[in-house]
Amino acid sequence: MRTFRNVFRRKLRAFLTIFGITIGVFALVVMGSLAEKITLLVNGGTRFYSDKVTVSQSHEGGGFSVSPMSVSLIPKLEAMDGVQVASATISVLFDKQQGASFGVPDLINASDLRGQSLESFKVSYAQGRPLKPDDAGKAVVGSDMVRKLNAQIGSTIKVRGRDFQVVGILDKTLTIPDNSVEIPFKDAQSILYNDLPDLVKSRLDSTRLATGATVYPKPGVDPNRLAQQINDRFPGYQAVGPQKFQEQVTNSTRIFTTIVFGVALISLLVGGLSVINTMTMSVYERTREVGIRKSLGASNARIIRQFLGESAFIGGVGGVTGLALGWLFTLAANRAGESSGTEVFLLTSRLAIGSVLFAIVLGVISGLYPSWHAARLNPVKALRYE
Amino acid sequence: MSSDVRGEAQSQARSGDTRLRALDLHKTYELGKENLVHALRGASLEVAAGEMLAIMGPSGSGKSTIMHIMGCLDNPDRGEIWLGGRRVDNLKSRELNRLRSKEVGFIFQGFNLIPTYTALENVALAGEYAGMSRRRAKAVAAEALAGIGLGKRLRHHPSELSGGQQQRVAIARALVNEPGVVLGDEPTGDLDTATSHEIMGMMREINQSTGTTFVLVTHNPEVAAACDRKVCMLDGVVKRDVP
Repeated sequence: MRTFRNVFRRKLRAFLTIFGITIGVFALVVMGSLAEKITLLVNGGTRFYSDKVTVSQSHEGGGFSVSPMSVSLIPKLEAMDGVQVASATISVLFDKQQGASFGVPDLINASDLRGQSLESFKVSYAQGRPLKPDDAGKAVVGSDMVRKLNAQIGSTIKVRGRDFQVVGILDKTLTIPDNSVEIPFKDAQSILYNDLPDLVKSRLDSTRLATGATVYPKPGVDPNRLAQQINDRFPGYQAVGPQKFQEQVTNSTRIFTTIVFGVALISLLVGGLSVINTMTMSVYERTREVGIRKSLGASNARIIRQFLGESAFIGGVGGVTGLALGWLFTLAANRAGESSGTEVFLLTSRLAIGSVLFAIVLGVISGLYPSWHAARLNPVKALRYE
Repeated sequence: MSSDVRGEAQSQARSGDTRLRALDLHKTYELGKENLVHALRGASLEVAAGEMLAIMGPSGSGKSTIMHIMGCLDNPDRGEIWLGGRRVDNLKSRELNRLRSKEVGFIFQGFNLIPTYTALENVALAGEYAGMSRRRAKAVAAEALAGIGLGKRLRHHPSELSGGQQQRVAIARALVNEPGVVLGDEPTGDLDTATSHEIMGMMREINQSTGTTFVLVTHNPEVAAACDRKVCMLDGVVKRDVP
């Protein structure tokens, strides 16, 4: 209470200083939420790809562009030493015309389900059941797609103009399955076939189509080495093991995360400078008060503690306000992006607590010099100060 | 501790012991490179326990300096200060802080209350600095303020109090830790004659009822006349001891 009154002795100045910290923490919270979301996606992806090798037709550009390949690769892969099972997969964009999006785009996924029992990335079902090999016209919907498709168990959803009956709804996985719809392999082959140019279609058999393969190594076989062997054996295909995946993704996200946090920290440091300014002014204005306190026997440590308390208070109030504003902002932005599946902010508790603590620590550090200056004042001179 | 100090002061007052002794104090201030001010040039002074002493003298004679040094706010360049039988001029600043918080009280001309604090908080602050818990300090402060007739002004800020009331808050603050010595620097300087009278009367009464030693720096002959004894300072030396 006394700290509050001391800080707000000059209301406008206190308000402006706190506002400076608020802006900094706001930036840290918003930017940090963005980085946290990316980290989460990357970690999810890393888990998803942790023990298998993903094979696709090599193509330029990478990402999620679709190049069809033949399932004839599957027996060749399975003939390799370290391979237990190779499963054909299809992954195509949910909307054929979908533009750029944040993170993973909405996908239609399918698999011949041969590797189902070996899959270490277990998904759980909020409702319903997984697909079975003999299903046709059925779909399992990822958690982020439920609202978009208005899906319920037993209801019919449209996928590329075709009707599918929803048999399962997934729990949130925080990675790829969330914004995808899984359909039977044959149905996916048919969708993939229809996407192809007519010239290509005439030369292909739709039942031989896939977009990739998931290779499950035998126990004890290093998936990274296996990926390398596949790359060596099958030129024209690209095999990605867990390590490669992690390298590809982590490198690009690390730079992004560093920039994002850097920008936020710079704005916070500016806020810290204004705390130094405010506290220095405050100490000068209250020189006489420091003299009075010393005449009453206040120790240097006590004077330092008092002024540090005030600057920590400025940091803390600015931090909490910035956190609140940042929280509201990320909430609103995520709500606005919810319908399009672009929830780009993730305010984690470690980010929330970290930002406020950082603001308080910044306040304390900024208050160090002014407090030390106050404590060193000569009491007699301070008492004479007008 | 503080009641021990009180008891000691009272017994010394009865026996006529020395409460404060300044021996051959020298103090030079450097205002600029070539501008030295010799504030004290061998000032010596003894104050008996329970005594009320006035220090008079023209501006610049060293009155305030000797008061600050005797109150452990400043160190002499040379000379000795004895407070209640203990030499204090050579103590470290930590120890001086402790002495100021427990054994010395100050009253200033401009009252020197903290403007954002209430009367109660201003007085309690001295208790806190002397090591009391905040709650205890407030209780003791409320009692001290009630004792000088400000029981109904506890929550008032200095700006809401008259000059006389502010100085009474300052007196309560100086006395809340029951120090052996109260040092006043022109304690009535900012007050009108009637209020000045009232404040002097109050200090005199406290002096007589508790045995607290008072040393008052003043220009006012009436204040000096109300004291047990007065001394004069001139050019940094205590000149005359007028009985």
